[in-house]
Amino acid sequence: MQAIDKNRPSEQWIDSLRRRFPCEKEVDRVLTRKLQRRAGPPYSPVSLETLTAGTTALLKSELKDDFEITEAAWLSGGASKLQMAFKLKWNQPGVGRTTTPMVLRMEPSESITETSRLCEFEAIRALHGHIPVPPTYWADASGRFLPYPAIIYGFAEGVTKPTASTSNVTGVGTHLPKSIRAALGPQFVGHLAALHAFDWRKGGLTSFDVPAPGTQAVEWQLNHWERVWEEDANEDVPLMRLAMSWMRANMPPVDCISLIHGDFRTGNFLFTEHDTRISAWLDWEFAHLGDRHEDLSWTTQSVFGHMAEDGKTFLVAGLMPIDEFCAAYEKTSGLPIKPATLKYYEIFNTYKAIAICLGTGYRTARNGKTHQDVLVAWLCGISYLLLENLRTQLEEVL
Amino acid sequence: MDLRPALQIQTVIKTLTDVILPALDPNNKLAQEQAKLSIGTLQLVLQRQALMYRYDLDELSRSLELARNLRAQAQDLPGSAPALKSLEESAKAGTDVRERARAEPGELEAANFDLREKIGALVTAVYSSSETAKLKQISQTVMAHAKEQLLRERSWLISQGWEPDPKSIPPIETLISGSK
Repeated sequence: MQAIDKNRPSEQWIDSLRRRFPCEKEVDRVLTRKLQRRAGPPYSPVSLETLTAGTTALLKSELKDDFEITEAAWLSGGASKLQMAFKLKWNQPGVGRTTTPMVLRMEPSESITETSRLCEFEAIRALHGHIPVPPTYWADASGRFLPYPAIIYGFAEGVTKPTASTSNVTGVGTHLPKSIRAALGPQFVGHLAALHAFDWRKGGLTSFDVPAPGTQAVEWQLNHWERVWEEDANEDVPLMRLAMSWMRANMPPVDCISLIHGDFRTGNFLFTEHDTRISAWLDWEFAHLGDRHEDLSWTTQSVFGHMAEDGKTFLVAGLMPIDEFCAAYEKTSGLPIKPATLKYYEIFNTYKAIAICLGTGYRTARNGKTHQDVLVAWLCGISYLLLENLRTQLEEVL
Repeated sequence: MDLRPALQIQTVIKTLTDVILPALDPNNKLAQEQAKLSIGTLQLVLQRQALMYRYDLDELSRSLELARNLRAQAQDLPGSAPALKSLEESAKAGTDVRERARAEPGELEAANFDLREKIGALVTAVYSSSETAKLKQISQTVMAHAKEQLLRERSWLISQGWEPDPKSIPPIETLISGSK
């Protein structure tokens, strides 16, 4: 039905997309790679033995001493990556012979979020000691040793939601009881403030592109996500065209470039239940340099929070009322929240979420490219609620 | 609507084949057999679901032809009158249905797909060339259409559980009843 066969993209089409939507070099690399591989075979199951063998090959290239991988097991959670927990018996530099619990995080053949393992690895490494993140160990950024690109980091103890609670897929709709909100809320906002105040120039983020002052940061993001929509969407959605047109005509300049998480919400941190402490922030695959309002508006979205027991007070991330959240953020970070910029990024983030769920979600499931197509296709269904959110957000500005 | 049965069934087959079946106890022969039959059943549904409408239409044409032939051949036979009358009424109704059944589901889907693409291209084109403020009427038209269309899409998927207030969404049957 489509004039362009998106399932078998031509080199000319790929080149035209790269020219039309200039963005960061790592984003360009992974999106181009995705399209070049798309006509290839679907994802076929990878065994723990295969992953263990790949990890062994990677470690042999990194470690001089002998080592042993034990207790390899699948980890669930998330819609975009495969994760294997294991224990490594090794001679850790500065520590000596020890056993360290670790996690291998690997892409499937084509992910619902096609992102750079190199950027993810560098972001986690940069933030170690600044906010809770797992220790980073190694990256196989091009899939030289493992079937697909992967990183290895330390296993962090904790849960993404209370053991007794329920949620929809990927942690959306997690309901947090009152008893733990008081402890987690201040940590949540404190970590976001610390992230945005972090001096990323000293973080060794060599794979990141630094946007120029002004609107380059936001323009890169618009190019990134419009390119994803062009590459992956099946049916067109006129409302998406309208939203992108408005965003391009109203780009806000950035006043302070921060390291952005890109998916900062409940479901993407672990906490230990015995002391209600956030033990690690996960899923740094969207990390980039940009405007803090992108994270702020993402985290305050209605789909990631819920109402308090009074049925009237919306709780950001299911944790705290929005006024308290904003006041605590500004006080801790020293950075102001600009309502107009926040509104702009609300629209941007809704567009981005739709591009992921409806655009890439459809395409990857259609081509059988992931380890959990049934979940990815299920997730497509949230797109229509997101589109309704986009419509009401646009109503306020058009 | 991108979340169509063809995509949904395909993903269920893949997860049954790649994840569920290998995880079943190989000694549980009943579970093994029924899992394989489930996959086979869904593969058949996937292969045939796009043809179901054409299949039914083809059958209707043959049934109408058979009815016409039988009515001609049986009209003077003893005991046939009440059954012939009943058959004639059904044949008339069936002929009416066949005449109203024109485009196939695939053609309908393709027409919607094409229109979405061309409308999207027009929106991008006019907003690239004019200031947003001058295009208020176009914005309102696109938004009004989106409001109605999205209501249908959300209603179609209501059982997935995404809606914060599902009672506010009318049943899909009532929303599309005017399109007969």
